[in-house]
Amino acid sequence: MKRSKIIVIILLSSVAFLGLKIHIDTIHRGKVPGSSIIYIPSGKYLKYATFGFPELGADLIYLWAIQYYSDYSIPDRFDYLDHIFSITAELDPRYVDPYHIGSLIAILEAKDLDLALKILERGFEKNPDQWLFPFLAGHYAQMYGNDFQRARSYYKQAMEIEGAPEFTERLYAHAAFKSSDYQTAWKDWLNIYENAPNERTKKIASNHLYNIKATIDKIELEKALNAYKEKFGHYPEDLFRLVQAGYIRNVPKDLDNNDYIYDPETGEITTKVIPWKR
Amino acid sequence: MKIKAIALNTFKEAIRDRILYLLLFFAAAALIFSRVLALLTVGDRVKIIMDVGLASLSLFGVLMAILMGTGLVYKEIDKKTIYTLLSKPIHRYQFLLGKFFGLLITLFVMLFLMCLIFMIIIFLHNFTIEWKMFIAFFFIFLEMVLVTAVALLFSCFSTPILSSIFTLSFFLIGRTSWGLETLIKKMPSGLGKITAQIIYTILPDLENLNYKTEVVHNLPIPVDLVLFSTLYGIAYSVFVLTLAILIFRRRDFI
Amino acid sequence: MKTALKIENLHKSFKTGFALKKKKILKGISINVEPGEIFGYLGPNGAGKTTTIKCILGLIFPEQGDIEILGYPYLSLKSKEKLGFLPENPYFYDYLNAEEFLDFYNRLYHIPSEQTKEKIRSLLELVGLEKAKDLQLRKFSKGMLQRIGLAQALINDPELVILDEPLGGLDPLGRKEMRDIIFQLKEKGKTVFLSSHILQDIEMICDKVAIIMDGQIVSQGKLQELISEKILFTEMIVSGIDKSDLEPLAEEITFQGDKTFIKVFREENIKDILALVQEKKGKLHSLLPRTPTLEDLFVGTVKKT
Repeated sequence: MKRSKIIVIILLSSVAFLGLKIHIDTIHRGKVPGSSIIYIPSGKYLKYATFGFPELGADLIYLWAIQYYSDYSIPDRFDYLDHIFSITAELDPRYVDPYHIGSLIAILEAKDLDLALKILERGFEKNPDQWLFPFLAGHYAQMYGNDFQRARSYYKQAMEIEGAPEFTERLYAHAAFKSSDYQTAWKDWLNIYENAPNERTKKIASNHLYNIKATIDKIELEKALNAYKEKFGHYPEDLFRLVQAGYIRNVPKDLDNNDYIYDPETGEITTKVIPWKR
Repeated sequence: MKIKAIALNTFKEAIRDRILYLLLFFAAAALIFSRVLALLTVGDRVKIIMDVGLASLSLFGVLMAILMGTGLVYKEIDKKTIYTLLSKPIHRYQFLLGKFFGLLITLFVMLFLMCLIFMIIIFLHNFTIEWKMFIAFFFIFLEMVLVTAVALLFSCFSTPILSSIFTLSFFLIGRTSWGLETLIKKMPSGLGKITAQIIYTILPDLENLNYKTEVVHNLPIPVDLVLFSTLYGIAYSVFVLTLAILIFRRRDFI
Repeated sequence: MKTALKIENLHKSFKTGFALKKKKILKGISINVEPGEIFGYLGPNGAGKTTTIKCILGLIFPEQGDIEILGYPYLSLKSKEKLGFLPENPYFYDYLNAEEFLDFYNRLYHIPSEQTKEKIRSLLELVGLEKAKDLQLRKFSKGMLQRIGLAQALINDPELVILDEPLGGLDPLGRKEMRDIIFQLKEKGKTVFLSSHILQDIEMICDKVAIIMDGQIVSQGKLQELISEKILFTEMIVSGIDKSDLEPLAEEITFQGDKTFIKVFREENIKDILALVQEKKGKLHSLLPRTPTLEDLFVGTVKKT
């Protein structure tokens, strides 16, 4: 066969397959990408199939999962979120990224707080040295669920791990405050104050303590003011009237031993200074 | 025709190769195992049999193509049977095409046997004949055709072991090149992206020959897609074969 | 009349070794084979005999030079139509039987017809394998393989037959049969080109020879012209004569048992020795005039280069 004829066929066929490839890519194919992964019972079985390369398997599944979840055209893609990320956990429990991304997808896209926390808990269970898992879990519980008690328990877990940032304890204490458990908050902040490693922390703790006292006092005062108003129809001129009327034993002062500012018109109690700017 | 004579001769020789029957045995074992696997799953059992079954057919079919194809030309050169053959009035390309078609016939027979076992297993489970499987079978065979062409190409200038590695690499690249599409979408425009797009178009895309998902999940398969995919497989195979003919033309048989 | 095989100024190098050093194998080979003759191609191992043959067949491509087979350009299909080739140490598809084997090769020439079966049968008869018609090639002995190889070389009734070491590995009977077949081919008007190490056989059957050494033709021509007819010396074996009587007449005398081996260089002395034998009532066992052989030519040429 003549050389020129062969070259022509090579060129023609290559043009053909290149052109066809470009055209075929434009045709949409119904995708059920990775559908086969759904009915593998658990990562345990998949582990055998990886022939001693479970970490590689985890990598590949994780990479695939990212593409899968990036495809917003799949409507029910969150149904197997837990399943998929449990598989990566099973194959390579020490690979931390999937836990983080899985929980992120759960909370931001699937809007499922419990699922996100479940994934983070799993991560923490397999990696007890990774404070970031309970740390993040606390944040999620707080930010997306307003569940400060739950956040607190996470923060507690986090702060006990070596390497956790030292402000974790402050988050822990503050979560108590946010869940209106002022007694506990006071205790925790006092503990932080007394064990503060530097002046700055001490200052922060004292600000918080100030704030807690102010809050407690404010609540107590407001309770009394409202009772006074009920009885007398108006707010008292000054706070001493409350003592005289017997609603409170004495007028509380703030932590700096200053008076609270009282507005007789509105019945509002404010602190003399903003706690954070003392 | 001279190509036909060589093809039939190649078929007679290839069908005797024990490797084929060893792979056939493993394929059958895998198919039976899929039936066992189906018991472990929750939900639709037939899907597991179909998925594992089609994957086995595809895998073992391609293995047969690689193992047989890489030895096709090498054996003739090594055993020097090619000397008498090329002293006859035949073109070198007729020899190559004869070997190619001979192996294709052999692979067709083996695939037919495997598909038969597969259909029987499905039938025993569902008591129906799943005709849609034939589309998957057709494209599995087309994929084997392309892989055979590549194996033949490498067999023209390389030892069986190296040829097998190269052909296997071609196959793996072909099966994963679709991932490049996602990567390209995320690249910033520029020379890098254009280069990546060119490479993506040139690389074999065996996903175009993969209809297992559609078949198993009963997704619609547009006719024009089938047509173009078939043409793609054929065009790429023609390209590879002609390349082999070009390389083989002026090769010295020391 | 066209030459059966014409090779002009053939050059071929190979790249060998890791550094791909160029090694020149053929350094300008020119050969002429006339139709109807048996041509012997002779040379030590590594001289380039097989390389030359592979060039002729288009298995390797020369850098320079021209080859014509039966008047056609050597790479054309037409030149192969009337060409037959038997390689050295042939190996064939061993699962085929003899008949299927020849039938396959036949298909590469023509579409089979009713005459094909008969043609195959007579060919098997020619090479003495008619009994092995249905025997698988894997069960053939070396001699049988050689013969079936010859059969496939003749399947197309070629005008030129190229044989690479056709007598190698055959027992004496096999060699005689092969020589006979080659003579038969010549009688049918075919041209035979064979390469061989076995000088005695070449001497017996070839009309023309070419000697190749280190990639070059050092000698080419009719056998008779290359080797003169002059008698070098005469070898005689006698018994019953004393050494002292023989000494003035013969140049080399050796004794073995009761026989005396003599080399006589002068022709007159032969008569005297014969007379001596008669006189002393001795015995003449053998008288053999020694002419130069191909071996002498060969060795002499080797010594020269």
